[in-house]
Amino acid sequence: MLNNRKAIEVYGLNFQYPDTKESALKDINFSVDYGEILGIIGPTGAGKSTLAMCINGLVPQVIQGDLVGEVFVKGMDVNEGNVAKMSEHVGFVFQEPENQLSQMTVEEEVAFGIGNLGVPREQMEGRIKDALKQVGLTGFEKRSPLALSGGQQQRLAIASVLAMNPTILIMDEPTSMLDPKGKNEVYDVLKSLKERGMTGIIIDHEVERIAEYCDKVLVLSEGQIQMFGPPNEVFSKIEHLHQLTMHAPQVTECLHQFNEQFNKDVKLSTNVEESARFLENAYKSI
Amino acid sequence: MNSLYMPKDSFIHNLDPRTKMIFVAFVVLSSFILNDPALQLLFLASLFPLVVAAKLVKPYLISMQFLLLFAVLIMTVHGIYNPIGVTPVFEIFGGLTFKYESMVYASVMSFRILVIGTAAVLFVMSTHPSDMASALVKWKVPHSFAFILLSTFQIIPIIAREAKIVMEAQQARCLDVKGSLIQRVKNLIPIFAPLFIITFMKVHQLSYVLECRAFSREGTKTSLRDTKIGSKDYAFLLGIVVFLTFEIYLQIFLSGSFNLTTNGLLTYSLIGTWAVFALMIAKFVIKRVQGFVGGMADA
Repeated sequence: MLNNRKAIEVYGLNFQYPDTKESALKDINFSVDYGEILGIIGPTGAGKSTLAMCINGLVPQVIQGDLVGEVFVKGMDVNEGNVAKMSEHVGFVFQEPENQLSQMTVEEEVAFGIGNLGVPREQMEGRIKDALKQVGLTGFEKRSPLALSGGQQQRLAIASVLAMNPTILIMDEPTSMLDPKGKNEVYDVLKSLKERGMTGIIIDHEVERIAEYCDKVLVLSEGQIQMFGPPNEVFSKIEHLHQLTMHAPQVTECLHQFNEQFNKDVKLSTNVEESARFLENAYKSI
Repeated sequence: MNSLYMPKDSFIHNLDPRTKMIFVAFVVLSSFILNDPALQLLFLASLFPLVVAAKLVKPYLISMQFLLLFAVLIMTVHGIYNPIGVTPVFEIFGGLTFKYESMVYASVMSFRILVIGTAAVLFVMSTHPSDMASALVKWKVPHSFAFILLSTFQIIPIIAREAKIVMEAQQARCLDVKGSLIQRVKNLIPIFAPLFIITFMKVHQLSYVLECRAFSREGTKTSLRDTKIGSKDYAFLLGIVVFLTFEIYLQIFLSGSFNLTTNGLLTYSLIGTWAVFALMIAKFVIKRVQGFVGGMADA
């Protein structure tokens, strides 16, 4: 039974914050397989962060509220354990880089999480080195975290989570406070994690990147799942996205505009190369 | 680095933080046992070699300047006005008389501040905050308490920056920050209210982060930096014990039989603090004048 469980399974999840009239999450069902990256998109206030925090138990154990439904991570019921126990399996990276840092130097910051897990000192150095290498911060060990740039701080936050060896990494808008360079840095890390077979959930507004890096996309609006599937499938339903005040990647939008303007029916794609080919063929026939 | 810690390679720096904490406690205790200005002055002088050993002479003297301000105030005001004084020692312009008893009282108080200040400066400047935290944990201090101490160093610069942002934002909404003193005090409210809210939000967020880093996990925790009590620490602690015994012996058996405190010592220490204080003021004034002249030249 345990072997054919998926990495993350969510069944009939409902959640309501105290003193609110409406549920933040309504009947959420989805699953993510090992090695898959799931992108969650949706307008502000859709419940994206709440959903992400349900997966490591932060909601409802630390952030109180009424939760109905079940969340399984690696076959374990999240709400049977506690967040601290879950943190060995699920790493969580938050939005603001600065709020996640609490130590005096970069290496101590990374060592903090694994120290809480009780990893002996002899193993620490190796794990710190590995984690910093994965995010490209080798050589910054003795620096103060506050002296780093935003992108570097966010990568450090990722490194401190990675050092704890989680199977699943959740990133809640990790790039929204960063400039384009910082965004690139964070997404490069995500890409290399994907190559290592890490399971991940990323919440972001950058649909182009979501389309490029994610295996599945979940569109959330007003606490309900609107769409769930591979990026190509989700972003092809462009009108539905527009209704939800969201956008598809620019290439897809371009094809859509072309269709509208010339009354054509070109197949929508999120891939630049494919889109260019479709557009070229269609343009010849005008 | 946001703390006062000065990384140097010295005997004092290599001591275990626990040894140094015991040392600070010993100094505080001694400053009360040695209830005599002359002995305290001797004690202060005997602490100075430790400062030299820690290679912290310059930062130490800079931080001592501020404590000296207290010393000057206490010695002058108490020396003249403290009612316990009976025996006049010397008189300055027109009727203001320094009395022996009140000068002893004032000297003891201000030397005590200097002595304790010296130990505290020595401890803070030679101990890495993380080491202090892990040493506290070894003393069975709760992990969360050690973390609070440590994260303070981290949050202060963040709050300072947020304060600047809030101040500028409120100035942009016509908050007068250059008005009269009363007006400025009143204006602290629109600056501090948002600042507190921002800080609470940040700390709240940090608590989620800590939860995700297994902070509340039960069981042993390890840390990257290790502190060990070695032979050096034992030697140092032995020295402290010897010194303490000597002090107690001095107080109990010899307190009545000799007296180093004389009028001269009191007068010279008072004049000495005045002289240093005058130097500080002169330095400050020269700097100001230089800045002013420099500003004129630029214009």
